[in-house]
Order: sequence, then structure tokens, then C-alpha cells
Amino acid sequence: MSSPPGRRARVSSPGTSRQGSDAREEVRRRLKDLIDANRVMIFSKSYCPHSTRVKELFSSLGVDYNILELDQVEDGANVQEVLKEISNQKTVPNIFVNKVHVGGCDRTFQAHHNGLLQKLLQEDLAHDFDLIIIGGGSGGLSCAKEAANLGKKVMVLDFVVPSPQGSSWGLGGTCVNVGCIPKKLMHQAALLGQALQDSRRFGWEYNQQVKHNWEVMTEAIQNHISSLNWGYRLTLREKGVTYVNAYGEFVELHKIKATNKKGQETFYTASKFVIATGERPRYLGIQGDKEYCITSDDLFSLPYCPGRTLVIGSSYVGLECAGFLAGLGLDVTVMVRSVLLRGFDQEMAEKVGSYMEQQGVKFQRKFTPVLVQQMEKGSPGVLKVVAKSTEGPETVEGTYNTVLLAIGRDSCTRKIGLEKIGVKINEKNGKIPVNDVEQTNVPHVYAIGDILEGKPELTPVAIQAGKLLARRLFGASLEKVYHTLFWPLEWTVAGRDNNTCYAKIICNKFDNERVVGFHLLGPNAGEITQGFAAAMKCGLTKQLLNDTIGIHPTCGEVFTTLEITKSSGLEITQKGC
Amino acid sequence: MAGSQSASQATLETEPMATYKEVSVSGFEEFDQAVKEHQGKTIFAYFSGSKDAEGKSWCPDCVEGQSGLGLSDSPVQKRTHDFNILILTGAEPVVREGLKHVTEDCVFIYCQVGDRSYWKDPNNDFRQKLKLTAVPTLLKYGTPQKLVESECLQANLLEMIFTED
Repeated sequence: MSSPPGRRARVSSPGTSRQGSDAREEVRRRLKDLIDANRVMIFSKSYCPHSTRVKELFSSLGVDYNILELDQVEDGANVQEVLKEISNQKTVPNIFVNKVHVGGCDRTFQAHHNGLLQKLLQEDLAHDFDLIIIGGGSGGLSCAKEAANLGKKVMVLDFVVPSPQGSSWGLGGTCVNVGCIPKKLMHQAALLGQALQDSRRFGWEYNQQVKHNWEVMTEAIQNHISSLNWGYRLTLREKGVTYVNAYGEFVELHKIKATNKKGQETFYTASKFVIATGERPRYLGIQGDKEYCITSDDLFSLPYCPGRTLVIGSSYVGLECAGFLAGLGLDVTVMVRSVLLRGFDQEMAEKVGSYMEQQGVKFQRKFTPVLVQQMEKGSPGVLKVVAKSTEGPETVEGTYNTVLLAIGRDSCTRKIGLEKIGVKINEKNGKIPVNDVEQTNVPHVYAIGDILEGKPELTPVAIQAGKLLARRLFGASLEKVYHTLFWPLEWTVAGRDNNTCYAKIICNKFDNERVVGFHLLGPNAGEITQGFAAAMKCGLTKQLLNDTIGIHPTCGEVFTTLEITKSSGLEITQKGC
Repeated sequence: MAGSQSASQATLETEPMATYKEVSVSGFEEFDQAVKEHQGKTIFAYFSGSKDAEGKSWCPDCVEGQSGLGLSDSPVQKRTHDFNILILTGAEPVVREGLKHVTEDCVFIYCQVGDRSYWKDPNNDFRQKLKLTAVPTLLKYGTPQKLVESECLQANLLEMIFTED
């Protein structure tokens, strides 16, 4: 349950206005959470002078406190009744210190005068750590470093459950070990192969047949990744963060169990927790998938060349892998259930598909696999895949050395004991809903990264987007789209289709032709896009682009001279410069 | 040295202390030879600037306390100021202290790399073949685990590299 917007930091709102014993149970649980999670918890009413005195007392002591103003929550009366059940006190202010019920205003001042309050304050919750983070990936590590910089006592738990094929890796999460980093390096390997091919046209002569050695590449990439893993461990140690290579799961509200690879269990407590467990690749649920297929978890450390490969899935993971595998000279087929790159601009997605086809990647569109069988053992072996059409009774069979599944990723939130402490997750996709400060429905438990449930934005821009959507659906077009094909100078080799690279911007007609969309298909697309992204945040308009002097000869300059709109229907093929 | 176990250190195993065998070498050839002789064992290698006939190294960061008056421009050394006396300690004693806590039997190769001009040459064998970038360096041979320069002075990092499983 998230805090309503506008009520930050000090005020929390525990319940809904449902009646009945279910509601009471929930209120009781929420109150217990507040009492447990806060060193000083004051249940108060904003107009009550006694409440004010108590708040002033703690402020004067320099002690942080959390307040719930019962006159400002919907079911304040309910809360007050449940408080009476818990504490045997029906008035406010009602004060708890380190989970101990102190009493009302008088009793609190008494405790202050006779030293009892100091004693209670000093018995800190005696947790092992201020913060425990479950998951040592991009989110978890940055959180850990920041918390340590702020002087907190932090623990990071990271553990990789081996994939069905047995792959595992070190500290750093998906990006470093089985995501962005190795992918970009393999992509670079493929680009270098392409560069070698082009080099002859630029006058390079050599006699050797150029071949690619998968094992040499993979070993070099894995060595690089290992040095990154070590670097993260050094950084955590230098900052005084305790890192444990163990599988963490909640057993109690403030306690987790950590199981290492030998099966030894240790328990740790903390005041606050961050869940940053990320995702793992999804399997198909068909015969032979876990036994014979690999995923991105396995590909980047595969000890043998994958050979003739079937990639199942047309997400960016699938297409990127298919791309570099083909670039390394392998025979690659991509099996697509419906569309390429779901969620992306479909015009760009189709262009990507055509380009890949030109480069020799085969596509099997509108098929879905039903079984995978091993025909021959080996490294790689031979696998048979039977697939059914999504449009009719047709089935196809194919044989491949390797089948790579890239059909999506599932959040690692179902086996970490969240149900034991009442953290709500979206049962359908396992994602965790959080409020604006990444807090789950349990106040001292937070979540970050890939596991977060998408939230609607409540800023004026989003309201505007809603308005524009309505217009788009029912009214005139509000976008002006400029586009062009272009021909990178680096690509001027004979026989290459000079109408492959494509640039497109989308401008808002009703807002000064502000650039709201930027698309690019071509080499170094990422590098080029970064600067324009910043420009868009600064309010880039078509006019500003026109006024920008292009840097010549580059690919990026094409955005400063866009003239032709889609709606005009004019020809966009490029001629010389 | 295992000491009292609080919850946060519960994962450190209280095993009996392991032993290490020390081998002293000079130059790359001797180093390579020592590695071959101890193939199959866990090897820690510490690379230091060579000492002269009087036992003094051109690399003050690497070695035992070369105490004395005067300032060193090394940013790496620990300093204690006591009026005009500066006591400078390099990494070697800290590394040796850390080595006492190693948790598996291993070999410790103490390697003097050569004189200053040899070290400065970007093509020397240590730079080319072992990818060393600085002295002192402590590395666990055959793994990406290493500590460089001021990292060798940090007891917590030394503990990490010496007690790895």
C-alpha cells in the first residue's frame, strides 16, 4: 500500500475504510509494522497540545520520530481503537520507543525525568545492520555504496542460482555478467569481423583466411568480467560494506536467512531492507526446453562455438544475440511468434528485421515451438525443433546445433520469503509495486530495479500525454514526422545497399515542433543518440535542429538537415554530399 | 585472529590456520621458473622494486620501514608525524601480516622485479606478460584477483584476497 501523494516522511496512512475484522487485522498489522520499524513512534492528533509537547521533547533531544496523525487519516477512529487493544491506552498522544509502549504525554515526560526514556532510546533495535540489500546487481550495488557513503552499516547478499545448464557468475548482476557488457563485447567482435571484410576494399592485403575462434573470444570476455567482479568486491570492502555470497530470504520482518553454496545457513537482522533481486530468463514450458536449450545466462560463457543456432524470441535480447552470432559467421534463424521488438516503434522494428535479413539472418515468422529433441550429444550436439504455426495447422521441423531461448525474463521475487512478511507483489508478473520513494507496502522494505511495477506518472507532462492520446485516437494528427535515409561514409563499399540507414524525428505540431521522438537505424546508433537525448530534455525543437551546424562528415549531422516529412510522401533516398 | 564472532562475521570459517611456503626470486625468468615448479598450488606473488647491496629498494612504497628524516614524495606510504621525525612504512610488512591469516596452504613468491630503469621500460616482461602496471602488486596467480599500490596497505583488502575460497 503506498502513501498518498503529498504526505511524505513523517506521516503514514495504514488502512482503508473497509469494515469488519479483516480491516481490524490489517490495521493491527500495519500499526505493529510502524511500531517495529521506527525508533520512536508517536500516534497523535495534529491539533492536540499534548501531542505537540511530546514532539517538541523528542526534537529537543535530537531524536528522529515518526508520527501518525489520527485526525488526518480516513479511519482514525478505527486506528485509535486498535491502539487501545494493543497498548491498553485509549488517548493520544500514544508513544512507543524501540517497540516499548511508554504511554501518553505525562508518562513520557516522567520517563524523561527519571532516566527511563534515555535508557529506552539507547537500547537501539540492536539490529546487525542498518541496511541489508538482497541482490548485488546494478541497483543493489549502487544503493550499497551510497548508503555506506552516508555512514550506514550495510550488507549486500548476492547469489546466482545456477541456470538449468549449470551457468553461474560473480558479483555484479545481470548487466556485468550476462547482459550489456558481454553482449557489447561480442557485438564488437562481430563488428571487427565486418571491418576485416571491408578492409580489403580499402586496400588491405593479407593472405590468411580470416576465421573466428569462439573460445578465444569467450575466454577474453570472461577474464574481463572476472576483473569487474573483483573490482566490485574491492569497492564494497573499501567502503566497509559486508558482502556475502549467499541466497537471502526473509524469515521475519527484520530477519533474513542467508544460505551459501554449501548449504550453510546464517541469519542477519537489519532496520531496513532493499530488494534488488532482478530477473532471470523465462523458459517455454515445452518438452526439452530446460534440458537442451540455452539462454543469455549461458551464451556468454559457452565453452564451445554454438554453431547453427535457432533463436526463439524477437525481443531485443533475441535480436541482438542473433545479430552478433550472424556477424561472427554462424548460421542463424530467428523464430518469431508475432511481431519483432514488441513495445518498440514498429516501423523501426521492421527496418531492423529487414536489415538483419539482408545480412543473412533467417526469420521464421508466426511460429511457436512445441518440442525440442536431442538427436546427437556433443559440444555442440544436434537438436531437432518442432514448431507450430500460429495461424493454421502447419508445422515445421528444423535441426540446429544450439537453441537459444529469449522469450522474456521473470522477476526473482517468488522465492525470497516476501509472503512471510507481507510484501505484496503482482501475482501475474512477480513485479513489486512501490510508491514514489521505492517503498513497498511494508514500510521498512524497499525495492529497486527490474522488479518494479510500472507506475503512472502524475506530473503535468503525463496529463498532457493523456490529452494528446485522446486527440490521436479521435482527432487530427498532432505529430509531424521528418525522416530520411542516409549513407554512412564508412560504408561506401561496392555492393552495399546505400539505402539501409534511416533517421527519423517526431515533432509535436502543437508545441513549437518540439522533438518528442528520435529514431536512428545505423552504425554507432547508441553513441549518436546520447547527445540528442540530452538536447530533447533541454526542449529541442525542429527549429533549433535546423539552426545547429552539422559536423561534417558524420552520420549525426543528418538530423540537422531533415526536410522531408512523412506526410508529404516525397522521395527520401540520398544522393551524394 | 578469528576472534569473537558477531553475526556480521559469522560466515568467516574458523578453520585452523594454514601454512605458506615462501620463495624468493629476482627477475622474470626466476619468477616463471618458480611458478612452474609449484604448478597446481595456490600461488600469491608480491612484486617489489629490487633492493640494492645494502638492502635498500628504489621503491619505498614496496618495502619494510625505511625510516628516516626527510620527506618522501610517495603518496602511498602511511605516515606518522612526531615533530620532525617521519616514519615511513611501505606495504611489505602489512602484506606479511595479512599473509599470516591465509586460510589454505599456499606458496608466497616474493619477487624483486629489477632496478628502476628496467621497471620504467614499458616493454619489460612483467608489464608485457603479467600485465603489471605498478609496484607493489600482490596477486593471486592465475586469477583476476590483485591488489595494487595503496590497496596493498589495506588490511581489510588483504584479508579478502588471502581468505578467498
